[in-house]
Amino acid sequence: MAPVINDYFPVLVFVVIAFVIALAMVGGSLLAGKQKPYPEKLSAYECGFEAFDDSRRRFDVRFYLVSILFIIFDLEVAFLFPWAVSLSRIGMFGFLSMLGFLGVLTVGFIYEWRKGALEWE
Amino acid sequence: MIVTAFFYIFAAILVASAGMVVAARNPVHAVLFLILAFFNAAGLFLIAGAEFLAMILVIVYVGAVAVLFLFVVMMLDIRFDQMREGLQRYAPIGAAVGLVLFAELVATLAGLKIAPVEAAAPAASGLTNSAELGLVIYTRYIFLFQACGIVLLVAMIGAIVLTLRERVSSRKQDIAVQHARHPADTLVMADPVAGSGMDGQILRAPGWTPALDKPAPARLETTS
Repeated sequence: MAPVINDYFPVLVFVVIAFVIALAMVGGSLLAGKQKPYPEKLSAYECGFEAFDDSRRRFDVRFYLVSILFIIFDLEVAFLFPWAVSLSRIGMFGFLSMLGFLGVLTVGFIYEWRKGALEWE
Repeated sequence: MIVTAFFYIFAAILVASAGMVVAARNPVHAVLFLILAFFNAAGLFLIAGAEFLAMILVIVYVGAVAVLFLFVVMMLDIRFDQMREGLQRYAPIGAAVGLVLFAELVATLAGLKIAPVEAAAPAASGLTNSAELGLVIYTRYIFLFQACGIVLLVAMIGAIVLTLRERVSSRKQDIAVQHARHPADTLVMADPVAGSGMDGQILRAPGWTPALDKPAPARLETTS
């Protein structure tokens, strides 16, 4: 599989550099820094008052809604990429096929707009 | 050579992080290991030549699905000390499900030849990976493609129906109403005679009544 993978050599270089920098930062501070931990230093820092609560509280379900709506439109865009590059070869049928797909999702988009699912108070 | 080495690196990290997804005590750590597994699977796709699938794996799974999983994990009310409580009770059910999945895997892999006769390589068309995919998705597999759209629509509407709650207490800003507001609707120019007060000239909202709990502002008594 030489032809495709050879194009990714620069990516490999970047990944290696990123790893080296990250490891150097963490490892350097681990090796060179003086570490004298004690309970007050290790406790959660809260701008001068005691922490009210555990950080593992329940999130609002609206984050989930935003996230799932994002996934759906992410996938819609993912389908647009191969369509765009092969549009000249698949003809009118392929074009209308994508328009049908977009139409179905537009129905959902109008629904969510009218329901106010995109509003954040 | 170097590609083979990377295949084994990706595969080893993939298997190890997949194991950690199951074994990690902290569910947030489990999701982070899942992201690592996604990245390595993308690397394997890349080595196999499936460029487009590798990028989609990064964009969709790492970029969106992992975030969704993180939100789901944070939405659950998890107490780490209570997490291991149900393990004894649920272990038989989990083992049964795992056994069924394992049997399916065995049944699938039984018919697989490890090194088949040199598969005829598809004729090189000179097209890129995504262009090749585009040639078949929208025409030959149109029914699957449209079914995919329907599934996405159902997911969208289902998520909205299940999670959207109207909050009447929210005071949200309606920009359109603000822009449509006209000075004449709210502003009244008065020219009272000195000492006569503003009775009857102040424009009030339609349903306005003087607040009963508050004392009326003291009038300036005009002395004659």
